[in-house]
Amino acid sequence: MKDRAAFDLLYKQTSGKLFGVCLRVLRDRGEAEEALQEVFVKIWTKADRFAVSDLSPISWLVAIARNHSIDRIRARRGPSANIDAALDVADPTPGPEAMAVAGGETERIHHCLDELEKDRAAAVRGAYLNGESYAELAERHKVPLNTMRTWLRRSLLKLRECLER
Amino acid sequence: MTLAEDNGPERGGDDLLAAEYVLGVLAADERQIASRRIDTETAFARLVDAWEVNFASMAAAYATVEPPASVKTAIDRRLFASSAPTSAAPSAGFWSNLAFWRGLAAAAIAALAVYVALPFVNPPVSRPETRLVASLAADNSNVKYLAVYDAARHEVDLSLVSGERGTGKDFELWMIEGKNAPVSMGVIPAGQTARMAVTAAVQHKLAQGAVLAVSLEPTGGSPTGQPTGPVVAAGDLKGI
Repeated sequence: MKDRAAFDLLYKQTSGKLFGVCLRVLRDRGEAEEALQEVFVKIWTKADRFAVSDLSPISWLVAIARNHSIDRIRARRGPSANIDAALDVADPTPGPEAMAVAGGETERIHHCLDELEKDRAAAVRGAYLNGESYAELAERHKVPLNTMRTWLRRSLLKLRECLER
Repeated sequence: MTLAEDNGPERGGDDLLAAEYVLGVLAADERQIASRRIDTETAFARLVDAWEVNFASMAAAYATVEPPASVKTAIDRRLFASSAPTSAAPSAGFWSNLAFWRGLAAAAIAALAVYVALPFVNPPVSRPETRLVASLAADNSNVKYLAVYDAARHEVDLSLVSGERGTGKDFELWMIEGKNAPVSMGVIPAGQTARMAVTAAVQHKLAQGAVLAVSLEPTGGSPTGQPTGPVVAAGDLKGI
């Protein structure tokens, strides 16, 4: 079965990276395993949409895994677990996968994040990598929800301005 | 909401909303609304895609963690367990429909697998820009091709993701560079995949990242040397 062979190849090449995404966002191994299943089923059914995206293949797959995990964690009720305690995986040194992620897209975002104040850049990075909501970010940075919202939106506008420069 | 004052009246709030969606900060109900808009509004989906591109390189910080084998087993069960041989399928429309969608998914998955593999096979560090990829699609058609240009072998590999040329028609591939007239690269051979040789004159321009376009032409290709039918798919060549 040709389609199955292609799928196996895709799984072999990308499941580690996508599992890393699910784990980081969901902070629970069992839930991350369930999420990874759903992500690959989704990829199978949505693969044709890749053709209209400007993303590189691996980034497109990461986006599906990230968005699915974030949807899952948002659907979960109650406060989330402590990030530092729950995840025993440290940030890796960039390997070949990291290069593949960066391949098609601009690295400009890092330069633009450096133009923001340190704590605001950290909030943007934290939101992206951990999938934290406005409410969680507000709690962690000890500011009211609306302040967090305003902060982050201002940061996004500055980023946009920098990226368009 | 202070969206209007933050964003200025001319930009609208959609671009900021797209950024918030991609960043992941929205609440469950806000995400659901945004996600529905991605499925139904092309313009909004484009804004979201653009922010995904902006933020994509941050994903390098995600660790690679091998999932347990049980996950793959469970996925295989969900995707392949019930797959009866398609030739023995009953004539009911539902089944042929399912087979069609499966075929579509399989072609796209195969293309994805190949593109994901390429950077591993040929690290971009040692051979920059020798391979370029383009997703060819257009708003008004269902024709989608994935194209890989291999500069070292002077060839373009095409995978048909969806769409048909119909009887008495052919797809013709064009290179468009800036404001110049399209240059024909030939009629695309029929089939799910096709390989086309690239002439020396076109090679140089492709390497600089031209636009590829597919037009619908009479069998055998355009009689005039310029596209005569509608452009059914187009896209930029980009480095992998």
